[in-house]
Amino acid sequence: MIEIGLPKLDEYLNGIPDGKTVLFHIEPGMEESNIAMHVLYNNIKKGIKGIYVVSETSLKNVERKFAEYGCNIKEYDIIFIDGYSSLIGAPSDAEYIVEEPHDIRCYEDVLLEVFDKVEKGIVVFDSLSNLMDMCGERDALEGIERINNEISKAGHNGVYNFIAWPYKESILYRVRRIFNAIIEVKSLDAIGRQVMEIKKHDWGNGEGKKIEFKIFKPDGIRIYIPKITVIGPAKSGKTAFIKALSREFTSVDRLGTTVGIEHGIVDYKGYRAEIFGIPSYERFQPLIDKFGSSSMGVFLVIDATAPHTFQQAKEMLSKFQNLPCVIVANKSDLPNALSKEEIKNRMSIDAPVVEVNSVSKRGVYEAFEILANKIMECLNAG
Amino acid sequence: MLAKTGIDRLDELLKGGIPLKSNVLVYAPPFIGKEIILKRFALAGLKEGEKVIFVLTDKSFADLREEMIKLDKKFEEYEKNGMVRYIDVYSKSVELKEESEWAIFVDSPVNRERIASSIFQIQRQNFGKHRIVFDSLSTLIVYSDAKAVFRFLQVLSGICKRMEATSMFSMTRGMHDEMEVQTIKHLMDGVIEMREEGARFQLRVQGCGEVISRHWIDYLLEGEEIRLTGAFRMGRVA
Repeated sequence: MIEIGLPKLDEYLNGIPDGKTVLFHIEPGMEESNIAMHVLYNNIKKGIKGIYVVSETSLKNVERKFAEYGCNIKEYDIIFIDGYSSLIGAPSDAEYIVEEPHDIRCYEDVLLEVFDKVEKGIVVFDSLSNLMDMCGERDALEGIERINNEISKAGHNGVYNFIAWPYKESILYRVRRIFNAIIEVKSLDAIGRQVMEIKKHDWGNGEGKKIEFKIFKPDGIRIYIPKITVIGPAKSGKTAFIKALSREFTSVDRLGTTVGIEHGIVDYKGYRAEIFGIPSYERFQPLIDKFGSSSMGVFLVIDATAPHTFQQAKEMLSKFQNLPCVIVANKSDLPNALSKEEIKNRMSIDAPVVEVNSVSKRGVYEAFEILANKIMECLNAG
Repeated sequence: MLAKTGIDRLDELLKGGIPLKSNVLVYAPPFIGKEIILKRFALAGLKEGEKVIFVLTDKSFADLREEMIKLDKKFEEYEKNGMVRYIDVYSKSVELKEESEWAIFVDSPVNRERIASSIFQIQRQNFGKHRIVFDSLSTLIVYSDAKAVFRFLQVLSGICKRMEATSMFSMTRGMHDEMEVQTIKHLMDGVIEMREEGARFQLRVQGCGEVISRHWIDYLLEGEEIRLTGAFRMGRVA
């Protein structure tokens, strides 16, 4: 069993059982299209043997690429199969070389030789589309089908990048047929939001499930939530909460009161989220209007010891209707704090309440996980 | 709306220039002025305040920059103002090390995906009306095949039209069979074709909207200039 290395996606896929192959069906022109490389990295880190089939770039460049994500390939157990050097007539110091890169059977021969020596590995193809262009679409796909059978027999895993150039529908049909799972990767809008959607999943029912992701250097691939807004009455402790949650944090404060938008970056269990705190003053009202429309979720921070502010808190939330929300009951371990149930009753909002102490960080990540989960459900609902 | 080519009599022949947001192929054998057309086209755009993206498969961005400065001193200034971007698909493959904040490097002409995404990456930065000079498609085709390049161009041209780019691509005559040439021409809005006929150089325009003449027209190659000498007034074709 291997995993992609993206929390929610792995949950939808229920892991990738031995013998299964996964194709990333990637829209041309994405910011970073080598998804399979990240999957490989996430698995060799766990000690699984990597087999990397290179067809569109030099080994030197592959090494450079891995290094951009903090991976020194020499420290890991990877076999490189070089199908690129002979294509451009360059020498290669790879252990395995595909001498005739226009013939898919040469790829097969080399792979069979490698499979004989490796008990269990993850095979990554940097570009199936490139193999199809080199070897002829049908020939390549027939060869890949045979390779996938070998992978399945031996209990390896195969992960492929496929750039979805405008191939003929009959070819695309064949592509879809020969993999156990297909994950479509595409951009959501012009400003670079990107999603993955499970299109085929023959060992489970993850079909149709989506996640939003982004690839960061050098951190790698993350589930990405571009905007979570934090609101709440004055002195409820928004700043402390954002600070407790964030890896990086910027704020403008004057005499202990926040006077500008705060920004925090959260890195947690494969998630990356950007958090924006909006000060509670009247004059920031226009910002709330603006943020309301583009946020993906809201933390409503309240002071659990100050029930007289709850009504104000509820009103603030009215700008964020229909967005996933979590009520953060701050200062909840002070002696006069209201309990979770009392807060729920008094607020009478259909949102989970999480008791938090921003100083000890108690409940902080719990609140984040609940909201992140709700945001994912929301993305999948429409 | 038209985009001037920067060669006066060619613009005249084209009734002002090539249509905005179109893709034009410059198809010619080596050494008869194909690159001059591409460079003049880039300069004409810069002069009008349009930005330019160069995609280079056969020379480094540093070499091209030098050549451009030789043509027009102002090029340095255009570059400094952020109007020029390079996608250099050459330097890395021959281990050239020179870098620039205006250049994106792609390691191999096989990596069409990287070329496309580099262009989109530049366009996403609010690039506005701009020109793309792609020199050359031949290299891409040689390293894979015409059908693969065709698919690449299909994606590229769709997005470039949306992004308000007017593009010029070059292809070398004599490197490809007729099928390949037809495949690529199929995706173009126009073709400027050049040939050497005896001791004369000639060019003709196919597509490109309305033009005065579609016949072969003589031109002279004078240093870094192309001068159309053939007559092409209506009804009086040379």
